[in-house]
Amino acid sequence: MIRLHNIERSYPLGRGQMFYVLRDIDLDIAAGDFVSVMGPSGAGKSTLLHILGMHDHGWTGEYFFDETAVHLLKAKERATLRNEQVGFVFQQYHLLDDLTVYENLDIPLSYRHYSKGERAALVADALDRFQIVGKKDLYPRQLSGGQQQLVGVARAIIASPKLLLADEPTGNLHSSQGEEIMELFRRLNEEGVTIVQVTHSEKNASYGKRIIQLRDGWIV
Amino acid sequence: MMADLKYAFRMLLKAPAFASIAILTLALGIGANTAIFSLIHDLFLRGLPFKDPSRIVRIYGEAKERDLKQLPFSVPKFWHYRDGQTVFSSIAADWGNGYILTGLGEPAQVLGENVTANYFDLLGIHPILGRNFLQQEEMRDDVGLVTENFWRKRLGSDPGVIGRSIALNGVATTIIGVLPDLPISWFGRDTEIFIVKPFENANATRDRLMRGYSFMRCIGRLKPGITMQQAQSTMPALEQSYRAQHPETADCTWTSVLVSATEDVTGDLRPAFVTLLIAVGAVLMIACSNVANLLLVRFSGRRREIALRMALGANRRNVVRLFVLESASVSVIAGIIGLCLALWIVDLVPKIAGDNVPLEGGIRLHWAVLVFTLLLSLLTGLAMGCYPAWQSSRADLIEGLKESNRTMSASRGQHRFRRGLVSAQVALSMVLLAAAAMLASSFVRLSNQETGFRSDHVWAAGIGLPAGRYPDPASRARFAQRLVEEVQASPGVEVAATVDAVPLSGNYSQTPYARTDGNPLPVNQRPLGLTRSISPGYFRALRIPLLAGREFTERDGADGPLVVILSSSTAKRLFPNENPLGKQLLFGVDNGNGLVAEVVGVVGDVRSRELAKTNDVEFYRPWPQRSVSFFNVIVRTSMNPEAAASMVRAALDRIDKEMPILQPNTLDTIVAQSLGQRRLTMGLLGAFAEDVLRLVVRQGMDPVLIGLGFGLVAIFGTGRFLTAQLYQISPHNPMLLALTATGLAIAALLACLIPARRATSIDPIQALRSE
Repeated sequence: MIRLHNIERSYPLGRGQMFYVLRDIDLDIAAGDFVSVMGPSGAGKSTLLHILGMHDHGWTGEYFFDETAVHLLKAKERATLRNEQVGFVFQQYHLLDDLTVYENLDIPLSYRHYSKGERAALVADALDRFQIVGKKDLYPRQLSGGQQQLVGVARAIIASPKLLLADEPTGNLHSSQGEEIMELFRRLNEEGVTIVQVTHSEKNASYGKRIIQLRDGWIV
Repeated sequence: MMADLKYAFRMLLKAPAFASIAILTLALGIGANTAIFSLIHDLFLRGLPFKDPSRIVRIYGEAKERDLKQLPFSVPKFWHYRDGQTVFSSIAADWGNGYILTGLGEPAQVLGENVTANYFDLLGIHPILGRNFLQQEEMRDDVGLVTENFWRKRLGSDPGVIGRSIALNGVATTIIGVLPDLPISWFGRDTEIFIVKPFENANATRDRLMRGYSFMRCIGRLKPGITMQQAQSTMPALEQSYRAQHPETADCTWTSVLVSATEDVTGDLRPAFVTLLIAVGAVLMIACSNVANLLLVRFSGRRREIALRMALGANRRNVVRLFVLESASVSVIAGIIGLCLALWIVDLVPKIAGDNVPLEGGIRLHWAVLVFTLLLSLLTGLAMGCYPAWQSSRADLIEGLKESNRTMSASRGQHRFRRGLVSAQVALSMVLLAAAAMLASSFVRLSNQETGFRSDHVWAAGIGLPAGRYPDPASRARFAQRLVEEVQASPGVEVAATVDAVPLSGNYSQTPYARTDGNPLPVNQRPLGLTRSISPGYFRALRIPLLAGREFTERDGADGPLVVILSSSTAKRLFPNENPLGKQLLFGVDNGNGLVAEVVGVVGDVRSRELAKTNDVEFYRPWPQRSVSFFNVIVRTSMNPEAAASMVRAALDRIDKEMPILQPNTLDTIVAQSLGQRRLTMGLLGAFAEDVLRLVVRQGMDPVLIGLGFGLVAIFGTGRFLTAQLYQISPHNPMLLALTATGLAIAALLACLIPARRATSIDPIQALRSE
């Protein structure tokens, strides 16, 4: 599903010098895969995730998503592809503080071509599926960390993405809440969602099917 | 869209301090603009409530070589134009008069118009009851039209009013119709009755009337397809034929000028409203840039939210829409508050401006004003929201997501933009404050202007003498003398006198004059001089100093030798390096050459027409020798001047019980009212400037100084708009500009120092912890 070839990401340091965050990344990820990206801080894990999620446009190399040459797409086309195919789970949950749980789930749908009725049905499904119907009118500050991340995951998959990217999804949760989220990822993967997660935790990485180690921007 | 709107309101509720500052700031700008638009709409845009008002014109006489403008028509000239013109479907005339109304309770003085029979048909005004005048009634029948206000208040909305008789100046007049209330901009305030005898005037004999005594206002309705320019081009032919057929008339040398009806009623108000429109435009721009600045700060602080929304699928358009909706919500709420503010201002304006602005009473809200406010609010919301929204939507997505909830600082571009906004605000404020300071300075100078007379402790009121009971100068003289004697004998009265028109009341008359020696010009080429008919106590009542000769006495009667007193300027102008006493002057048009009067005195100059202008020429004539059917009684009293009303009333009761008092007022009030329009401009501009000052001063100093520089440049560019409003002060007055700039800079400096001092007093550890 995903093929990266010779991907590099660098930042100018001045006087013509560059600082490389990612070097010569070649990576294939098949549909249905569950990949854990590990490595020390500053290894380039999150950068790789943002490139896969098409948030970052400043890289070089070739990136194919389901045979679509992402590297040849314009920013607007990449955004469309991302909206249709990719869901994102953040370490900080990144829920919108001034929207209720229901509205947070509805937000990604409101930016896509869904009718009002379809959106209501999809949000109701997600609330049901993640067993948070009772929380739908609460604001994020009224939820525990685990509940917020549950909403974050529900929001990431509500538009049925093929690829789910997760950046330290349990980083801010205590262990039992973390396990719940990881179990949820496993189930989603079993349902056919391709998952790439960045994690520092060996235990969380073990939920995946394979591990990629990054060090100083290189795959090792 | 609805979700975004809901979110926008939620965000405003979450930040009540920001929301209230932004809303009140904009409400000030929108309110000021709505108020001025509402006034402009009423005065200039709505048009007169006549049929096809753009085709109605006023026809004035003009004698440019003698600097005479907007001169009225005489009877022979009107007839000549009415019968000889080809460009109007009809022309009509009217002239105002006071009438004593009897038979409806207490006798009352009412204002009315003497009109030609076709007058209301020409305007396209139809009675709500009865009918308009018929041509055959003109100069023949004692019939009248009354206004709806008259019908309701004085006749109790009598459904059988048609055919009812009322007594006007003692003449039984049959009411034939009730007109809808008429625009005060056209007929003046309080005009209630109309009669159809336009070609007779109790103030002039038939001989005078036919010699070109000009007193009628002439209007015409352009024929379909005829433009003003085409109509104007036909005037010279009419002027020539009138001159040829009536060479003896005083007005045969005048040219004719057409003025559109709309321009006629609003022409002299335009400079004031242009000034106000520019001012409120500046106020709105200042308010907008102020709120845009706040929005920029607010939106910059929400880059995490923007980044997150974009990560979830929002494009820049979505983000911009969200923020613009938020700013539009602010502006629409501000618009609603601004509308209330505008209603209050509009209600206040007639009270400030007095009779100087012809606005109908009561608060009215027209659709046009509502639409204007709504559009202005939305445009304001867009204008101030677009840039901050667009700027914020450029946020770096990954950086935004990384930033978590930490406060983010604005980009260098945003800093530059914000500093630019502040400079623009200061520049506009500088212009506004300087303009307000100049107007205020003008107003103070004008208020302190020496009038040449003392208005304190003086009371004045009008009295109309019905021609039936007081048909000639002798009877009018007897009445006035008796009244003065009766009032003079009342306790507390220092001096009582009469005058045909009180100084600075807006009423005055002019007479052709010439020296008798040398070769006097023909009457119709003589200059016109301001002429006041007075009783002997007039100069003492107003404390006008007698500089030479004598005052009038009771011996200067209708049958005595004609005499005149000159103002000091007049004496210098007409008799330079000569003693004017004993010299003779020709006055008026009687006998085709005017009547000879001897100069018996010289008095101090008086600003009697306009406070801002000196009178080059002003004559005083004894009331018995130059009387008209309307005059003012003035009373100087050591008591409260209002108490004079009851004394005059009592005196009138002893002479003629059916004689009402019209428009009683203190002279102080009349003088103050003459400043009404200036007070309006100065008052509104001053109020706006004061509020703007509060908005602007809380800025950094650099942009303030840049703004001051631009402001000074702008004042030199826009000063000419103010010139007409100023008195004895230049729009580029260096002292005032320096004071304004210094004042603004000091205010801004203080405003900078207070937050700076507060910032330096913060514990750094505390500050780091909060990060």
